[in-house]
Amino acid sequence: MTGVVAESASRASAPGVGALSGIKVLDFGQMVSAPYCAKLFSDFGADVIKVEPPGGDAARQAGPFPGDVAHPEKSGLYFINNTNKRGTTCDVSVAAGRELFTGLLRWADVLIENNVPQQMSAWNLTYPQLQAINPNLVMISITPFGQTGPYSGWNGYDLNAFHLTGASSRYCGRPGEMPLEHGTFSADYYGAIAGATWGMAAVYGRDLVGGGQQVDVSCAEAIAATFVGGQNIGLVAQEGRFDKRTGVGMPLGAPATIVPCKDGHVWMLALERGQWEGLCRVMGDPEWASLEMFQDMFVRAQNADIMYSFIQEWTAQHTKMEIMEKCQAAGCPITAVFTIAEAAEQPHLKARDYFVDIEHPDLGRVRNLGAPFKLPASPGGPVRPAPRLGQHNAEVYSGLLGLREAERASLQAKGAI
Amino acid sequence: MAKTLPLKGIRVINFGWVWAGPVVGQTLAFLGAEVLKIESRQRLDMTRTLPPFAEGKPGPDRSLSNHACWAGNGSVSLNLKEPEARELVLQLIAHADVVVENFGPGAMERLDLGYDRLRQVKPDIILFSMPAAGLYGPLEHVRTYGLSLTSLTGLDSLVGYKGGGPIPVENAFSDPLAGIFGAFAIIAALNHRRNTGQGQHVDFSQQEAVMQMVGPAYMDYVLNGRVGGPKSNEHPLNAAAPHSVFPCRGDDRWISIAVQTEAEWKGLISAMGDPEWARADEFSTMRVRLANIDALHARIAEWTARHDDRALAEQLQRHGVAAAPVLNVGDLLHDPHYASRATFVEVEHPLGFQETIYGAYVKMSRTPPDVRPGPMIGQDNDHAFREVLGLSEERYRDLVERKIIY
Repeated sequence: MTGVVAESASRASAPGVGALSGIKVLDFGQMVSAPYCAKLFSDFGADVIKVEPPGGDAARQAGPFPGDVAHPEKSGLYFINNTNKRGTTCDVSVAAGRELFTGLLRWADVLIENNVPQQMSAWNLTYPQLQAINPNLVMISITPFGQTGPYSGWNGYDLNAFHLTGASSRYCGRPGEMPLEHGTFSADYYGAIAGATWGMAAVYGRDLVGGGQQVDVSCAEAIAATFVGGQNIGLVAQEGRFDKRTGVGMPLGAPATIVPCKDGHVWMLALERGQWEGLCRVMGDPEWASLEMFQDMFVRAQNADIMYSFIQEWTAQHTKMEIMEKCQAAGCPITAVFTIAEAAEQPHLKARDYFVDIEHPDLGRVRNLGAPFKLPASPGGPVRPAPRLGQHNAEVYSGLLGLREAERASLQAKGAI
Repeated sequence: MAKTLPLKGIRVINFGWVWAGPVVGQTLAFLGAEVLKIESRQRLDMTRTLPPFAEGKPGPDRSLSNHACWAGNGSVSLNLKEPEARELVLQLIAHADVVVENFGPGAMERLDLGYDRLRQVKPDIILFSMPAAGLYGPLEHVRTYGLSLTSLTGLDSLVGYKGGGPIPVENAFSDPLAGIFGAFAIIAALNHRRNTGQGQHVDFSQQEAVMQMVGPAYMDYVLNGRVGGPKSNEHPLNAAAPHSVFPCRGDDRWISIAVQTEAEWKGLISAMGDPEWARADEFSTMRVRLANIDALHARIAEWTARHDDRALAEQLQRHGVAAAPVLNVGDLLHDPHYASRATFVEVEHPLGFQETIYGAYVKMSRTPPDVRPGPMIGQDNDHAFREVLGLSEERYRDLVERKIIY
C-alpha cells in the first residue's frame, strides 16, 4: 500500500509539472464553492495562494472534526478543499491589509472568490477596481445567485441556491412531501466546476481576447440552465406544461428505481428487452415475470407496484454486490447503491489510485479523494496538505512581495495580517 | 465582425452522444471552439427522437430537449459503419485539436479510432474519453444509466428523508455536471499542450469526477468512521440550524431557509414577530438548535405555512436571513432573476421555428458567447468536407449519394 501511495505521490503534480503550471491564483473564498474551484487549479499544478481573513475560512469551523471536537486546524471540509495551496491571512477591511492584497493582485493571473457582491463593494474590490490594478486579471466570482439580477444581493447558501433551480421540485422527493437537496453542497460544487471551466478558458484565451475579465457564476443559474432547463424548458415554453417529482426513478418505464435488498439498496434498472430478460434469468425466470402485464417497460410501469413487490421478494434475499455482479454479467445495468463507506473502500477505485494519503501536521496521515480525472502526461491531484492558518505569510509577504521583516511586523501590529 | 472568444481557433471533433458528451462540446463552443459533432441518420442519437417536438411536429431535427442540451455543437453526418467514413473522420481529426467521446472503453479502438491511431494523423491530439468508471479497473465495463451512475459514488446514499432509505434523483444530475467538468479537463490539457507541445489521452471517469461532491461526507467517514445517510434538507455537516425547506401557502409551494450565524437567527426571530417559543432554552444556541432540530423545524413550518413563498423570502431577506422560494419548472421562465440574467433565451432554428433554450449559464464580462440553436444533422457538412478537407464537388456528391456522408 505504501508503495502505491509513494508512486501516486511522485506522479502527482508538483509545481512546474502539472497541466496548469505557471498560472498564479488567489483563492479569496470560504467554505465550498470558491475553495473547491481554486483546488481544481492547485491540484493541477497552478500556484494557488489562499487569502483568509484573520479568523480563517468558515470551513475551519464547519468540520467534520475527529471525534467531533472542533479545532480550526482539524476541519475535514477545510482539509479536503484546500490541498496544494499556500495559506496567508489578510484583513482587507483595513487600509494596510487592502494594500497588501493589492500587491497580491498584481502578482496574480486569477482571483477566485465567493463573497456577496455588496461585501466586495464595501472592500473596494469590485471588478472595475481590480481591473484598474491588473488589467489581465481573470476574476472568478461564484455566488448562489450571481453578480446581477434582483437576487444578487440576497443572503444565500447552497441550500437556497439548489432549491431555486427547479431541480428539487422536478426530480427529487416524493409528491406532497418536501423537495430535497442531495445531502451535500451540490449547488456549490456545480458552481465551482462551472467557474473553473469558464474561468480557465478566460485564462487560456487571455492574450487572444485582449485581457482579463470577470467570470460571473450563479450556482443556481448553472443548475437551472444545464440540468433542469436542458430537459424541461422547451416543453414549458412551448406548451406551458411541466412535470414534478414522483419519488420513483423513472415513472414512465420500469423497473427503474432504487429498491431495498438484503444489505441495503440497489438501483434496479431493466428497461430494454435484453436487460429485462437478463434480470429475469438472474431471478431464476420466475413465473410472474412472464405475465402479460410485465411484457414491456411501459406496461411494467403501469403495473409497477405489483412488479416491485415481486422484485423485492427476490432482492430481499440477496446482497447488493451479488445482485450487481450477477445482473451486470447478464447485461443488465443494475448497480449497488454504495454507502459512503462502500464507496470509499471500492477495490475499483483503489486499483485506479483514486485515493491519496496526505500527511497533515495536525490530523496526521489522512486519506483524501484524488484527482477528479487523469491527465497521464501532466498528472494532478492533492500532494501537499491544506495550509495552517497563515502558514505561508512570511514566505508570501517577504518572499513574493519583498516586504522586510519590520514591515511585516508593523502590518501584523496594524491587524492587516 | 464576430468577437473573439477565448477558445477561438480550437477545433473539436465530438463523438459524444446522449447528454454528457454533447455538453462537453456545447461548453467548449460557448467558449469559442469550433465543435463538430459526428453523428448519422443511419443510427440516430436517441435524444433526437425525444418529445416534445417544435410545433408538435415530430422529426430528428425538432426535439426541444435535444436542442437545449446540444446547442452550440455543430454537426457533421458520417455513417461510421463505413470504412470510408472512418477515413474521412480521421482526416478531420488531422485538422483538429481535441477529440471527445463518451462510449465505453474499447469502442474507439473497435472503430480503429483509438488514441494510437489518432496520434498517427495528429501527433499532439488530445483525446478525451469519459466512460462511466474510467478506462481501466475492475469496473471498467460497468453498465449504468446517467441517473444511476451516482450510486457508485456514495452520493445516492445521502439523498432522502431523514431516517428513511435513499430516494432516487429522477434524472442524470451527473451528465451535465460531467460535461462541464470534462470541458475543464480539456482546457487543462490544452494548456499543457501549449506549455510542452504534448497531447494526451484524458481518462475522465464520471464516477470519480462526480464523487468529488461527496467530499464532506467522505471526510466524516475517514476521520470518524461515520457513514452518513439521508437527512432531508439538513446541513451536510450539521453546521446550521434551522436548515430546511418549509411549506408555504398554495399547492406545493415551499421556502428554503438556512441559518448559520447568530445574526441570522436573530433576524429570523424578529421576522417571525418575536414568538415566545423562539426564546426557549432549547433554541438559544446553535448547539441546542441542532440537538432539537425537528422541533425547531416544526415550529417554523407552522409559521411559514401562513405565508406566500416569494413575499416571505423577501421579508426574510430584509432581516438578513438566507431564504429563497423553492421554484418549480413552471416558475423558471418567469422568475425575475433568471429573466434579468437571460438564463433562458428564444432563438430561431434554421427550420424556421422559435425555440427556447438556455444561453450562457456563466456570464463573461469581456467575451459573452454567441447562443446558437440546436444543430441540424449534417448542418456543417459543407464546412467540414469542402472547406476543411477541400473535397472536390464530385467526390463530395458521390459520398453523399453512397450514404457515407449521411
